[in-house]
Amino acid sequence: MALPIQEILTGLSLGSRYFLVAIGLSLIFGVLGVLNFAHGALYMIGAYVSLTVVQNVTGSFWVGLVAAGLAVGLLGAIIEMGLIRRVYDRDELDQLILTFALVLIITDLTRTVWGSGNQTMATPELLASNVQFLGTSYPAYRLFVIVVGFAAMGVFWYAIQRTYLGRLVRATSSDRDMAALLGVNVPRLYTGVFFVGSFLAGIGGALAAPMQAFTPALGDQVIINAFVIVVIGGLGSFTGAFVGAMFIGLLQSFGVLVATGVGQLLPFLAMILVLIFRPEGLFGGEGQ
Amino acid sequence: MSGETILGLPARRTALVTLAVLVVAPFVLPTFQTYVLSEVLVLALFATGFNLLYGYTGLLSFGHAMFFGGAGYALGIFLRDVAPMLPFGGATPLLAFVIAAVLGVVVATAIAVPVGYLSVRLEEIYFAMLTLSFSMALYTLVNQNYFGVTNGSDGILVLLQTANLFGFQLSLYDRVTYYFVILLVVAPSMYILWRVANSPFGLVSEAIRENSERASGLGIDVRRHQWAAFVLSAVFTGIAGVLVAPLHSSLSPGASLHWTISAEPVIMTVFGGPYSFIGPTVGALFYRYIRWGITQFPLLEAHWQLVFGTLILVIVVFAPRGVSGLLTWVVDRVRGNGGESA
Repeated sequence: MALPIQEILTGLSLGSRYFLVAIGLSLIFGVLGVLNFAHGALYMIGAYVSLTVVQNVTGSFWVGLVAAGLAVGLLGAIIEMGLIRRVYDRDELDQLILTFALVLIITDLTRTVWGSGNQTMATPELLASNVQFLGTSYPAYRLFVIVVGFAAMGVFWYAIQRTYLGRLVRATSSDRDMAALLGVNVPRLYTGVFFVGSFLAGIGGALAAPMQAFTPALGDQVIINAFVIVVIGGLGSFTGAFVGAMFIGLLQSFGVLVATGVGQLLPFLAMILVLIFRPEGLFGGEGQ
Repeated sequence: MSGETILGLPARRTALVTLAVLVVAPFVLPTFQTYVLSEVLVLALFATGFNLLYGYTGLLSFGHAMFFGGAGYALGIFLRDVAPMLPFGGATPLLAFVIAAVLGVVVATAIAVPVGYLSVRLEEIYFAMLTLSFSMALYTLVNQNYFGVTNGSDGILVLLQTANLFGFQLSLYDRVTYYFVILLVVAPSMYILWRVANSPFGLVSEAIRENSERASGLGIDVRRHQWAAFVLSAVFTGIAGVLVAPLHSSLSPGASLHWTISAEPVIMTVFGGPYSFIGPTVGALFYRYIRWGITQFPLLEAHWQLVFGTLILVIVVFAPRGVSGLLTWVVDRVRGNGGESA
């Protein structure tokens, strides 16, 4: 019985990291209507920022985590104000191309600053040990990542469903012009949403940094998974992003048991099946 | 989009002059430039084939690498595994190439028929995502070497040889010879695409792009038409795919099937302008020569992604109709009619 629990935990910790990217992607699409190709690149920047803060500045993983979130959030806000804002009324293709150009630019700049080689980061000391959990021994850090993923979903759900700001976001996402007429400062709200989405991507990248060696190509791998997740869950649906992320995480961790490489193929097959039978995604629908 | 002008110039005359220039070019240009021009021709066909679906029918495919690379792989595998067994004597290298190329286009078409049938049932961003996931599924299959013939991430070599046609030596791998092979295929392909775009089929496509509900109201079977446009677009993409593999002498999942390859015709189309026939070709020309220009400066080459990204950004933000939109505008101004046409 030890084996399935290991796989489940691995799947959930993968899923939690995916969720932090997918939720931002989904939020930005749901509210702003922009499919942000550069979201994976923002996640990648998060990993590098936390690496630098931890190695060269403070030595504290926790400071690195917060710094990564804030730095990437700020970068996102600047991108929204400087560029994305200009193409809201344009074709979807124009928006996609613009954010694709940003991928090229961000990746190149990252390579210039940090080099293109493999980077690794130590697991924070507090979480470096293994924990006895449900009869199996499992790295504490991965459990921590799972906790963060679930906590992020909880906070997010509460903020959107129960707070005033959440109501504004929902109102603006369903009818921008009406919200503006009712006095919502739409441009500022859009920048705020982009900040929050980017902030979560930055946190996701920082969390991933101690778990794998990474290069500036990290963003390319992540964005495709994030696309798969939000499409399976339903573009713009937060529940969908969560379920989709966990589903894909589990699919990949169990796929490895079947045959090598199946873990990479299964997400695409799942996405094709979902799109064919339920194009709006499992939790998608009008409005959100 | 009046059918008879290219960039505001008379279409027939412009096409003939261009063709004449292309025929003479390899005799004037250095070999490397001939090679670059070969790439431009192939990319122009790739992008124009893509634009039949995007610019004319209004469907943004983000998975055209599956036809481009899929056709290339079919050609490469045939040339590697089957061609050595063919019994045509000295003509084998040429006939093998022709058979492999036809096979490649057939494979691209065979992929497009079911994928297109399923994809056109979705709209806009969902259509883009579905084509993306089909193509990434194929990428993963080839990359993991599931069929045992693709050699995984190492890719395969595609080498053409010298055909001996009754004493006449035809070195297909020669840059200039292969340039003419490409021109011989691309020129008629572009002509056919032009005819298709300006036929009732093209008009119906544009009607669907502008308003699919109204088109449906006119009695057009929208799905069936989109499916046909999808397959047709894949056929021409496949032709570009079988031409490019021997030009590069190699195929790999990363350089043939990855989603970044699907992004290339999209970028070229946006560069050139999606709502005109010639836009993608102008885009391909710019795309390839900008890359070549960048390689001339070591500092720029080290940061070509940055330069390229910035350029795309500037064009998207400031020239929404692309370079051909700008050129048309300039031509119109120069000729003094000042009217809007693209």
